[in-house]
Amino acid sequence: MGEPLPKPRAMPHAEWRKVPKWRVRYSAECIDCGLCIPACPYGVHRRAPGSLRLGIPDDFGCLGPACEQAHPAGPEAVFQEGFCVRQCPTSAIALEKNPEWQTLGDPRWSADLLFATWTAAETGRYPAAGFEVRVGDSGGGFDRLRFKFKRSRHERARDTELEAIDTAIPLARRKEGPRLQIPVPWYGGGMSYGSVGLNVMLSRAKAARAWRTFTCTGEGGYPQELLAYKDCVITQIATGMFGVSETTVQAARILEIKYAQGAKPGLGGHLLADKNTGAVAAMRETVAGISLFSPFPFHSVYSVEDHRKHVDWLRAMNPRALVSAKVSTPTDVDMVAVGCYYGGVDILHLDGAYGGTGAAPDIAKKNIAMPLEFAIPKVHRFLQAEGIRDEITVIASGGVRSAHDIAKAIALGADGVVLGTSELVALNCTRCGNCESGRGCQHGIASTDPELNALWDADWGAQRISNLYHALRLELAEILWRLGLPSVQALRGRTDVLYHLDRLPPP
Amino acid sequence: MPSAVKDSNPELLLASRASLPPAPQQGPREAEGGCGVVGLLANCAVPGSAVAAGCSAMRNRGNGKGGGLAIGGMEAGALGVDAATLRGDYLLAIAYLEAEAREAVEAEFVRPQFEVHAEGRFETAGDPRALGMEVAPPEVRRYFVRARAAALDAFCREHLGRLPHDRLERERWEDEFVYQNSYRLNARHYASLGKKSAFVLSHAKDLLVLKLVGYAEDAIKYYGLEDFRAKLWIGHQRYPTKGRVWHPGGAHPFIGMHEALVHNGDFANYARVVKYLKQRHIAPLFLTDTEVSVLLFDLWTRVYRYPLELAIEAMGPTTERDFELLPPSRQAAYRAVQTASMKGSPDGPWFFIVARSETGERRLQLLGVTDTSMLRPQVFALQDLGWRESPTFVLGKAARGEKRNEPAPAIGLIASEKQAIDRVLTQLRVAGLPFQKPADRYWNARGGSYSDGGAFIFTVDGTGRLTATDKFGAAVTVSGPEPKLGLAESKGAEALVEARAHTQMTISAAGAAGIKGPRDEASELVVDAAEFPLEGRAGLAAFVVHAYGLGWRRFCLFNTSGHRFIGCGLGAAKVEIDCHGSPGDYLASGLDGGTVRVFNSAQDQVGQILKSGRLVIYGDVGQTFMYAAKGGEVFVLGNAAGRPLINAVGRPRVIINGTCLDYLAESFMAGDPLRGGGFVVVNGVRYTGPASFEELETPYPGGNLFSLASGGAIYFRDPRRAIGPDQLNGGKIADLATEDWELIRPMLEENERLFGITVDSLLTFEGRKLKPAEAYIKIIPTKLRALSVAHD
Repeated sequence: MGEPLPKPRAMPHAEWRKVPKWRVRYSAECIDCGLCIPACPYGVHRRAPGSLRLGIPDDFGCLGPACEQAHPAGPEAVFQEGFCVRQCPTSAIALEKNPEWQTLGDPRWSADLLFATWTAAETGRYPAAGFEVRVGDSGGGFDRLRFKFKRSRHERARDTELEAIDTAIPLARRKEGPRLQIPVPWYGGGMSYGSVGLNVMLSRAKAARAWRTFTCTGEGGYPQELLAYKDCVITQIATGMFGVSETTVQAARILEIKYAQGAKPGLGGHLLADKNTGAVAAMRETVAGISLFSPFPFHSVYSVEDHRKHVDWLRAMNPRALVSAKVSTPTDVDMVAVGCYYGGVDILHLDGAYGGTGAAPDIAKKNIAMPLEFAIPKVHRFLQAEGIRDEITVIASGGVRSAHDIAKAIALGADGVVLGTSELVALNCTRCGNCESGRGCQHGIASTDPELNALWDADWGAQRISNLYHALRLELAEILWRLGLPSVQALRGRTDVLYHLDRLPPP
Repeated sequence: MPSAVKDSNPELLLASRASLPPAPQQGPREAEGGCGVVGLLANCAVPGSAVAAGCSAMRNRGNGKGGGLAIGGMEAGALGVDAATLRGDYLLAIAYLEAEAREAVEAEFVRPQFEVHAEGRFETAGDPRALGMEVAPPEVRRYFVRARAAALDAFCREHLGRLPHDRLERERWEDEFVYQNSYRLNARHYASLGKKSAFVLSHAKDLLVLKLVGYAEDAIKYYGLEDFRAKLWIGHQRYPTKGRVWHPGGAHPFIGMHEALVHNGDFANYARVVKYLKQRHIAPLFLTDTEVSVLLFDLWTRVYRYPLELAIEAMGPTTERDFELLPPSRQAAYRAVQTASMKGSPDGPWFFIVARSETGERRLQLLGVTDTSMLRPQVFALQDLGWRESPTFVLGKAARGEKRNEPAPAIGLIASEKQAIDRVLTQLRVAGLPFQKPADRYWNARGGSYSDGGAFIFTVDGTGRLTATDKFGAAVTVSGPEPKLGLAESKGAEALVEARAHTQMTISAAGAAGIKGPRDEASELVVDAAEFPLEGRAGLAAFVVHAYGLGWRRFCLFNTSGHRFIGCGLGAAKVEIDCHGSPGDYLASGLDGGTVRVFNSAQDQVGQILKSGRLVIYGDVGQTFMYAAKGGEVFVLGNAAGRPLINAVGRPRVIINGTCLDYLAESFMAGDPLRGGGFVVVNGVRYTGPASFEELETPYPGGNLFSLASGGAIYFRDPRRAIGPDQLNGGKIADLATEDWELIRPMLEENERLFGITVDSLLTFEGRKLKPAEAYIKIIPTKLRALSVAHD
């Protein structure tokens, strides 16, 4: 597997705390005996040095009643030591669901997923139990797919077993041309300068470099600061071609042609006036304070032979780069895929409808095009029948939130995925949905406002994203281990290890 | 009105199709991509080799999965018949994919239905694999036929309820008889249940279609048509998306009755158009939108008998401001046509070339029609040697004018790329015909417009004259070759090389590999582009990049012919490129510094994302000129086609001396021109020779000007104040201020130096010297509330 992958490093946030799922309270019966302190492996109960009284419990680490099943020392340990509520000699510990919890999240990004992702970004691991990180609450899409595991969830892999599982995928698969492999089956999706601030772009670039994978400029120019990371930054060429010049095309190892976006197929990129600040306008060489729209099509690409010419053009400017085509998932997406391949594309990026930030119009989000879980196998099988599946990399994106989503996309036939919102959640995004307004993002993520951007720096952000990557890799390796597969490439197209809740009874 | 017209009404014709076998199980539509198309019509027969040259120039627009030809105005002798048979008989061409099918096909669909006056096969050139074809082309047999009287009588009795009253009516029913016979044959032997053994290629009089799985020029080679002469040709390179199993039946052209059609594009409303046709008992069998297009065309022209103008209107309706500008009588007719055909109008992008042969009228026609938004590339060209005899020769008006025994040779051409037209003309010269490149005139159609209707029609009639008209019947005129400033065009390539005798090195593709660095910075590399591939690693553009890497800074490229991406890949460069010939698409797209000069017209996608540097075009530019450009100083002698400067930002500074088709500077975002931003100057004149020009009717005919623009400005030379607010969508007309004039004057002076169009003459109108503010207007963006920062 080459060089070792980065290790996680604790990276909480100094200013904000998460919304805890559980509330731990001591009643008046508490005698401050402290038996609960060793009972909790997550440090919820604590006592300041020298103090006789217990401190305020740290709810954020609490897994709730689920911790009984997930004691790091094994289930027997719980019986011996019991969990805190049962351990308390005076029954003074009350554990209750935090009423604020229900304000958190939405069906796609459930409160559990948000919280678990924050934990992963802080610690490099998902919570051991007590949080549903396999699916959200949407009731559709990936949330209705389950794996048929060979090993039960109670079996635990040894760390060495998980490390031995190969999660690398090649991005270049044609017989000729450059070789390129990434050690994890994902890279970062396009987010423009303007849609997010420079700190977000740099955080993602730094994390991508640490993990030897990629992130993408989006369509808002190529900030100078990003040039230092050009080996792991994809230059996106979208329909407005803001900031696309020969220099930025030649800087990249991967060029991404954005034909469409799954969250809003048929619409171009748009940046509402509030976010088009002086700095953003300068980067795009436009006028500040005006909404910026990219056209919905490429005005120079209205057919497949135009597409080939377009790819040839990029190759004329940069013969060494891989070319990726990002498309949405219309019903004839298989034809689009084949057309992309014959047009010379190396990476076909299928963008489904479950993604998109608050800036994508609601009327478009989730309402247009074919669901991603149908599009991936359609394309995969069509390319197989065409005999060209192993000469093109298929990347899926649009609502990929977790390692389970990654594994499902790959089992359906993709080679890997692109992450977008998950990385923002790692930066503390709460999915409040105010992304389109200039100062609407209280976390300084979807904003270029200097004051908001100053809330955190890129090194913090990079480590958070890196921690998330670590957690994702670990979780993905465990899924593969439980499926009895040696590598992520062996999972591709294995729809037989999946079942759909509507179709098959669980095995 | 004669009774025939009433009795043979379209409804009866359509009703007669109700008994046809239904279209077999409809699979999904074959995904159709774009394509390369070329068509020509001359008043003298020209050889297939010329069409092959045009087709092979656009090989990169196809993928070898389908090529085809339509040929009309043929020479009877070459087909082994006399002229009367060629004109009077249906030329039934049947492709046999399986040799054994022939017996059954003939026994059911040929012998009992038709009197066969002559028949034969097209000789083929041996092993198709030697020509690089994966799928063997079909065996093609031709039958010169007329319907058997008894069979036709029975057909009429059944569907018309009687025998036809007159010859005209009988011909109409014989057409339908032939048409339905072909449909039955195709349904039985091609479309049904995956069994593909034979299909009808064409069945018109004096019109032949050939097609195969391969490239169009392969058809010419395989069927030995290099020296075959005909007046009317169309060729088509297909680029279907799915790549594996192909049948020649899916290749273009497709036929209606008297016409063959090729298509570049893709319908958005295929299913709806199919429904429209099915309601009229017309079932497509080949599952491509091209077949559907020609079925529509046949329905409207033959069954409904729309005049050509209205059939074109039904295809590509006139809308918005263009409709308002039509004369009221046309508006009424067009509104009626639009209402009737709304459900059948194909929704673009598309560009059609149609070849029509109407031997009864002794008329051959070639027409090109573009969709309303002009989303596919298209170039028209005309060369008429009549001007040589009479300098004021005006085409179209000629018919009524001078008497001449033999009309002078004339040719009209339509293609996806200008360079393909030039290749055809060059090859015609080689073949000993009097034509030569460049054509006398090149132009584009403005889709769905009041100005030309988005279509041009070349016609050769019984007198042997070639006329060119737009949709409304207005003639396209030429009075000699368009004046050119290009050195190579006027003096030839040898003269060019000689003129550059001081240069250190002249190189062709053969010597490209061994090239070494220059003696000094001033050395110029003269490159004969002829043998370089059009693109790719060994292509001309890549060679320039390679030589640039070796230190060459000055280039002179000649004999370019469709070479793409010239000037791309140089990075931030100090380079000087002179380009002669017909360069291909994406010229200088990405240029960042340096100078590129094109001594001719350039094609589509010139100067995309141009960052800085200078671009001089001694001719026209094609579609999406300077799309998303960031800067640069650009001078264009002629016109720009559709969508120039869309999404341009930063500080591009552009002079277009001609005009633009439509959508000029949509979403223009180039700051404030008076504070370093960008602008476009459109002079609205037509260059007519050194220091002379003629005024265009309007500097800008389109209805979409500066739409949703938020920055920059457009300066129009518009002394008549022809530009009105109804052309704007988000901009407004402002007066030219002194500082505006100070801004554009240096550009206009440079324009004068380059093209000889003097600032003085631009400030003169109807013999009167104007103040700058009288001659020019300025279009500035308005702040749209919907697009601006919300304020309480």
